Amino acid sequence: MLKDVTFGQYYPADSFVHRLDPRTKLLFLITYIVMLFVADTFYGLLLGMIVLFAAVAASRVPFRSVLRSVRGILVLLAFTSLLNVFFHGGQTLLAEWGIIKIYLEGIIFAVFLMIRLVFLVMASAILTLTTTPVSLTDGLESLLYPLNFIKFPVHVFALIMSIALRFIPILMDETNRIINAQKARGADFESGNFIRRIRAVVPILIPLLISALRRAEELADAMDARCYSSAKKRTKYKKLRFGAGDLVAALVVAVLIAGIILFNVYAVAIWPAAAPYVVIS
Amino acid sequence: MTSEEAVSAVTATENSMPEYALSFDNVSFTYAADSPFAVKDLTLNVKRGEFVSVLGHNGSGKSTLARLISGLLQADKGKVTVLGLDPSDKSQVGEVRRHAGIVFQNPDNQMVASIVEDDVAFGPENLGVEREEIGRRIDWALKTVGMEEYRHSTPTRLSGGQKQRIAIAGVLAIRPDIIILDEATAMLDPRGRREVTEVVRKLNKEEGMTVILITHFMEEALLADRAIVMNRGELVAQGTPEEIFEMGDLLQTYNLSLPEIGVIREELRKNGIDLAPCLRAETLADEIAAYARDRGIKVNCPAYMPEQTAVHYGGEWDISIENLTYTYSRKSPFATNALNGIDLEIAEGEFFGIIGHTGSGKSTLVQHLNALIKLPQAEKKYKKPKLRKGQQPPVESHIYVGKYDLSDKKCPWKELRSDVGMVFQYPEYQLFAESVFDDVSFGLKNFRPDLSREEVEKAVRESLEVVGLDYGEIAEKSPFDLSGGQKRRVAIAGVIVTRPKILVLDEPAAGLDPKGKKEIMELLHTLHRDWCKTVIIVSHDMDEVAENCTRACVISRGKVFACDAPALLFRRGEELRSLGLDVPLTQKICEGLGERGIKIECDMTAKGLCEVLTAALSKGAENA
Repeated sequence: MLKDVTFGQYYPADSFVHRLDPRTKLLFLITYIVMLFVADTFYGLLLGMIVLFAAVAASRVPFRSVLRSVRGILVLLAFTSLLNVFFHGGQTLLAEWGIIKIYLEGIIFAVFLMIRLVFLVMASAILTLTTTPVSLTDGLESLLYPLNFIKFPVHVFALIMSIALRFIPILMDETNRIINAQKARGADFESGNFIRRIRAVVPILIPLLISALRRAEELADAMDARCYSSAKKRTKYKKLRFGAGDLVAALVVAVLIAGIILFNVYAVAIWPAAAPYVVIS
Repeated sequence: MTSEEAVSAVTATENSMPEYALSFDNVSFTYAADSPFAVKDLTLNVKRGEFVSVLGHNGSGKSTLARLISGLLQADKGKVTVLGLDPSDKSQVGEVRRHAGIVFQNPDNQMVASIVEDDVAFGPENLGVEREEIGRRIDWALKTVGMEEYRHSTPTRLSGGQKQRIAIAGVLAIRPDIIILDEATAMLDPRGRREVTEVVRKLNKEEGMTVILITHFMEEALLADRAIVMNRGELVAQGTPEEIFEMGDLLQTYNLSLPEIGVIREELRKNGIDLAPCLRAETLADEIAAYARDRGIKVNCPAYMPEQTAVHYGGEWDISIENLTYTYSRKSPFATNALNGIDLEIAEGEFFGIIGHTGSGKSTLVQHLNALIKLPQAEKKYKKPKLRKGQQPPVESHIYVGKYDLSDKKCPWKELRSDVGMVFQYPEYQLFAESVFDDVSFGLKNFRPDLSREEVEKAVRESLEVVGLDYGEIAEKSPFDLSGGQKRRVAIAGVIVTRPKILVLDEPAAGLDPKGKKEIMELLHTLHRDWCKTVIIVSHDMDEVAENCTRACVISRGKVFACDAPALLFRRGEELRSLGLDVPLTQKICEGLGERGIKIECDMTAKGLCEVLTAALSKGAENA
C-alpha cells in the first residue's frame, strides 16, 4: 500500500546530525561527493569511509537503514563497475579473449569506482534520513539566495517546493482512496497484459487529476485571500542559524579535504611497494 | 511595516471609521452571461463587531458573497464596500484583504506549508511584516485558536477541526477586522465543528471582530446576532436566529430544513402541546417541565429499561469479525495501531451504524469487510510464524462474511467484492468516465464481463432509477456536468449496480446540506428495503444513527466500546461524552427532562420521542 511508503525516508531521531543546519549538511554532502572524485588513492577512500561511518554513528540512524538505500541500485552500480573491468586499459595483462583484455589496473579501478559510488549513495541517504524535506527546502532556498541578483525568483521557487511537499501526502492519501474505491468496484490493477494495465490506470488518473485541479484552484483563492502577491516584497519568518555543531562539521570537512589531497600527493611515498595496488592510474 | 506603523495604520482606519464593516448596495452577479444569477439585487449592511450568519442551501449564492467581499469576484452590478474600501478596485483590493480574511471549506486546500507555524506566518510574510512581529502574531493567533502546543506539528497529522483552527490562525495573523467563514465547518465531524464555532464565538465576543458565518447548519446560526437566509441568489429573510426558526415550514420552501429541535416542537404542537419557541435541548426541557407544572401533571414512569433488541443471527449473510487487529506502516518508525482486537457480529437484514470520530479506526474496519485490506493470513506471501518452544501462538484475526472466509488465501475476492458493495466518503470524487452510463456500468463490466449489452443497460437503468435519477435524461451526460447531489447519486448507483447483498457506506451524507442529507437517508432506507439485505453506515452524526439504525456500535481507539440498539446505546450519555462523542438531541432532551423530575421512556427517534411525550403528558393530565 502507498500508505506504507514513509515519505522522503526521514528517520525521526534527535541526534547531532539531525540538529545540524540543513545548509551545512547540503554543503557537506556536495564537498564530500567532490572529494570522492578528487581522491585517487585507497587511503583517501579509507578516510572517506571513516568520515561516513562517523556520520552514521552520530546520526543514530540504524546502519541497515543507510545500507537499504544502496540495495535498490546495487545492480546498476555493479554493472557500471563491471564495464570498467573490460574497457579500462593498463600494463599488467591478466587475461585475454579475442578483443577483450583484462588488466589488473582495470580490476582495481572497478573496485575503486564501486566503493566511490556506494559511498556517494550512502552519504546522500544520510542527508535525507536526517533532514526533513521541509528544512531541506529551507536550506536550499537560503543557499540559492545569491541567484536573486540575476533576477531568479528564489522565493517563488521555494514556495513551489513547499506547496509540493505539503500536497504530496494529501495526494498519496487520495490516490489510495481512489484505488480502493475502484477496486471495490472490481477494478483489477494486477493482471492482464501491458495495454490492459495501462488502461486500468485511467479510472485512477482522471479522478486524481480533477481533484488536483480543484485543490489548486481552491489553494490559489486561499493564497489570494491571504494577501499573496508574487510581485510584492515578502519577509521571511524562519531564519536558519548556524550553531556549534556546524563548526564541528566544518572542521571535519577541512580534515577530509586536506587528508584526501595529502594522500593523493604522498601515496607513493607512504608505502612504495603497495603503490600499484593503492593508487589509481 | 514595523509594529508601530501597523498600529498607527489601524488607528487611522479607526479614526475615519465607517459605520458599516461591509455593505452590499443592490449587488448582482452571474458566473456566465447565460447562467442564472448567483447573487441578485442584494442589499445588506453589517455593522462593525456584528456577528451575522448567512444560511442557504447548496448553490444558494452564499459562497459567492464571500468571494465578492474579498475581491476574488467582482460584482456585475451594484457596489460592495468593505470598511469604506472598494474590493473591485485593483488599487484597493490588497487593503480590503488585509482587513477581511476568509476561512474556506476544505482545511487541506488552504495551507501552503508543512509546519503549522510556517503556515500561520504566510499571511504576514506576504505583507512584509518584520520577523519579530511575525513571531508575536503567531504566538497570539495560535493561542487564540487554542493550538499553541501544535506550533511545530505537521498539518497532515491533525484532525479536521484542528486543521481548520490552524486555517483560522493563518487568517488572524493578518490581523483582519472582519473574518468570513465560508462553510468552514461543512467537512468536519461534530467535535471539530464545536471546536471551530467556539473559536468563532470568542473572536466576536472577546476580540470584537466582525464575523460573517456562512453555513447550512441551522444550529450554528444560533450563535449569531442576526441571521440572513439566501435562496437562489436572493436575500429572502433576515432577523434574529429565533425569528428565523419561527418561520417553520416556510424554511422548507427555501430548501432549508427545520433543525431537529424545531421538528420536535412542531410535532408536539400538532399533538396539541403548544410550547414557546426554543433553540436548545435544555430550554425545550424547561418548556415541557413548565407545561406539566402549569397543568399539575406529574410524569414519573417507573425506571424503564428497553428490552434487548433481539438480533436474529443465522441468516445467509451474517458478518462475524473476531479479534481483528491492524497496524499501519508496520516495521517503520511511524507504525500506528489502528485496530486493537475488534469483535463484532452483524446479522443479515440489519441497518447497522458504526460510530466513532475521525481516527478511531472505523474506516479501517470497514475496508476489511470486502478485503480491500486483507487479513495477514490471506496474503499470498504469508507463512505461519515459527514459534519458539513454549511460546503461545498469537491469536489470529478472523472475518466471515456470509459464505466467504476472509482468512482463506483462496477466497474468491472478486465475488466477495461484488457481494459487499462499498461506497467511500465523498464518492463523487471517484467518478471518471465520459458518460454516466459508462461510469455506472464500470463495476458491472468488471465483475460480470459475460453480460450482454441489453442486460448491462437494464441493470444500469434500474440502479439509476432506484437512486432517483432519470435514465433517459442523464445516462449520456458527462458526470462532471451534474450537480453535487446528482454526482453522489450516480456514484452510489455505480456501486449498487451489481446488486450487492451487503452495502457499506462511509459517511454517506458528509458535506450535504440538511435537505440533501434527508434525501440520502431516505434513499438508503429504500435500498435496505428493496435492493440489499444489510446496510452498514459509518457515521459521526449521532442524530443520523439514532434516527435510522436498528443497531449501532461505538468504536474508540480501535476497540468496540459498545454495541447495542440506539435506544440502549445512547443512554450511556456520560460515557460517550467522555470519549469525545456527542449524543443525539433526543437523548439530550430526555436527560434535561430527567433533571427536572420528568422521567419518561426515552425514544431516540424524534417521532418516537414525541409520541412518548404526548402520551405521558395527556395521561398525566387524566390522572390529575
